[in-house]
Amino acid sequence: MKYEKNGFRRLLIVLSIVSLLLLTGCWSKDEIEDLSLYVGLALDEEHKTKLEHKLDKFSIRKEKENILTLTVQVVDKQNEDKGQSQGSMRDPSKKAYLNISQTGNSIFEMMRDYATQLERPVVGHHLKVIVINEQLARRYSLPQLLDFFLRDNDIRQNCAVFMSNGLARNTMEAKGNTIVPAFRLLGMMDNRYRTLKIIPPVRLYHLEAKMHARASYLLQNVTAAEGEVHMSGAAVIDGKTQKFKGTLNEAELLGITWLRGDGKGGLIKCTDPETNLPVTYELKSMKSKIRSKVAGNQISFDVQIETEGRIIEDWSMNSSPIDEAFIERVEQSGSEMVSKLIKQALAKIQKNYKTDVVGFGTRLHIEHPRLWKQMKENWDERFADIPITYSVKLNITETGTEKSH
Amino acid sequence: MINEKDQITTIQVAVIVVNAMLGSGILTLPRSSATLVQTPDVWISVLLGGLLAMIAGVVMAVLAKRYPGQTVFQFNGRILGKWIGALVSLMFVVYFFMTAAYQVRIVTEVTSLFLLEGTPNWAIIMVFMWVSLYLMTGGINPIARLFEMILPVTILIYLLVMLMALNIVEVNNLRPVLGDGIAPVWKGIKSTALSFLGVETILILTAFMKRSEQAVKAVVYGVAVPMALYLITVVVVIGALSVDGVVTRTWPTLDLIRSFEYTGLIFERFESLFLVIWIMQIYSTYTISFYAAALGLAQLFNRPVAQCLYGLLPIVFIISVTPKDLTACFAFGDLLGQSSAFIFGLIPFFLLLITRVRKGKSG
Repeated sequence: MKYEKNGFRRLLIVLSIVSLLLLTGCWSKDEIEDLSLYVGLALDEEHKTKLEHKLDKFSIRKEKENILTLTVQVVDKQNEDKGQSQGSMRDPSKKAYLNISQTGNSIFEMMRDYATQLERPVVGHHLKVIVINEQLARRYSLPQLLDFFLRDNDIRQNCAVFMSNGLARNTMEAKGNTIVPAFRLLGMMDNRYRTLKIIPPVRLYHLEAKMHARASYLLQNVTAAEGEVHMSGAAVIDGKTQKFKGTLNEAELLGITWLRGDGKGGLIKCTDPETNLPVTYELKSMKSKIRSKVAGNQISFDVQIETEGRIIEDWSMNSSPIDEAFIERVEQSGSEMVSKLIKQALAKIQKNYKTDVVGFGTRLHIEHPRLWKQMKENWDERFADIPITYSVKLNITETGTEKSH
Repeated sequence: MINEKDQITTIQVAVIVVNAMLGSGILTLPRSSATLVQTPDVWISVLLGGLLAMIAGVVMAVLAKRYPGQTVFQFNGRILGKWIGALVSLMFVVYFFMTAAYQVRIVTEVTSLFLLEGTPNWAIIMVFMWVSLYLMTGGINPIARLFEMILPVTILIYLLVMLMALNIVEVNNLRPVLGDGIAPVWKGIKSTALSFLGVETILILTAFMKRSEQAVKAVVYGVAVPMALYLITVVVVIGALSVDGVVTRTWPTLDLIRSFEYTGLIFERFESLFLVIWIMQIYSTYTISFYAAALGLAQLFNRPVAQCLYGLLPIVFIISVTPKDLTACFAFGDLLGQSSAFIFGLIPFFLLLITRVRKGKSG
């Protein structure tokens, strides 16, 4: 009896060990070496590359209806791996990335067509940046262009979206061999503590909300030339149509940033009115408070902007100590400068574009929710005629490591 | 009736109730409630829904503890008479295994979309069901002990992930508070109260309690923990994605976790971690519902529990693969929710009323 039980146990043990061989591990694994990870993506109007034209000539490709050209930036994993095994960074004679374009009318189709061009199919788990050409966004709305990216289960919602006034593909080019252009754009977003010219990154999850609410918003504009990129100004997306409406230049964008009070660091170029020489103010903090006022049927907004900072550059030649009067003059000149930027910005968004990209509507919603319910349908048009007052208070707290001019 | 080794403590009962509630709801709650409310006041609906669930739970606990050592399937007959009692009990059984089937289906839908793309659904379902069956054949005590291990891990990881998501929360998304008055909040309760389903397990668990007089305490703790977690969930998800960004998404809570990254930490992305704990939670919800159904059948037809466990397995499998697509699946879930409001909101209340009236007469 006892022997029999032992025998049964032994059989069970053997059986379970044998069954281990049947375990195959992951059911549908993909080795990372067998995939092409794309990190950046550019959307343009139809604009075939030389390679595409050649392929068209020689192959019997099915003719697609051509609406847009999509460029993906694939990180060259193979090249990077080789480098690491040798101990050095990577093969310096080759670029760290590979750009490939497809032209067609369905983003998903183009994505899948890469499988006919590359041995390792592209996957979107690491997509970080999307750049859209402004003319394309003038023709097609962002919900149309971005639908695939919001729907796909590989692509993460924290992917940032930019606009380009030139060919979006060019922002994905770099001169040096060490730069991955998509990562360069990503890195520039972290520079907000040094300049006011870069707005907070707009990510896919922000867009989902804006699109559904039919709200207007800004997207950072990126200009590219000869492998270099430059963040300059912003693109205005109209709430109702969700299409590109126009651009804000750098000065106008600065005005918006001051109204929103969301700058992390930067400067104001002031002048000393007595000597007419430039004095530069570096801001340490920036705050804005938007208040809505409702009197009967008339809505108005008041914005109070406060900033603290230091004098960081002073071109005046006399070497006397800095006095209160001088500080006051600079403060005065600085706030006038900011007021001027705001005036320009408001003129552009209220009169030219009729789009509330600052978030005045949000304030009205929070402070007067019932009124907002009636207003939100045509908010952008109403916004164009609403009077907005603003005051800027500049506060110089120090003059750096120099006490005198 | 219930032997010594099948007895569990009050804390264990509370833990099982918590585990039974935390399930598929947490992934969809922000959407389902925000769609009804349409303002950022969803969190108030969660609070009120939780209170409602707590009241229902207390009614059930008070009822159950009048019959120590007996489950609802047994005392139904004593209150309502043999035949009507059996009919009501059968209704409960059907509800429980339908719930189990729904949970299995949701787990396969999500894992095949985000974790195991390409693995056939039957493979996911079967592993899930077999592992659970193994646990259930041990009876209520192993179930309770496993749940005690799962819950702290779940809460720890969940809070950690939510804490990290605070970074992308914008307070303006949660304002104005009560901008449209209280009316939208009421609409939301319909969806939030249903996310507390699972509280009905107290009708069965009380029978196993060492000290059944503490059933009310167990159920109150059992509802309070999910209430806190749900509150955190809707505040963080709507705070980050806003009402407009939530109503269009299928799995908003997962979207939240896919909306941030931490470079420099050991992990940059947390959805896998989150999905793992979430699968454990569905596993526990599924297990307790399935066990309740099998126990009910066993007690109704005087059969050993093991037989019913094996017998139900194919039925639950077939029901779980029946909904054609995700839309049908969600519709199935809504149907379950609505019927439960009737089954566990009204019936226990009437049962309690009847026992009170009878007691009054006999006294």
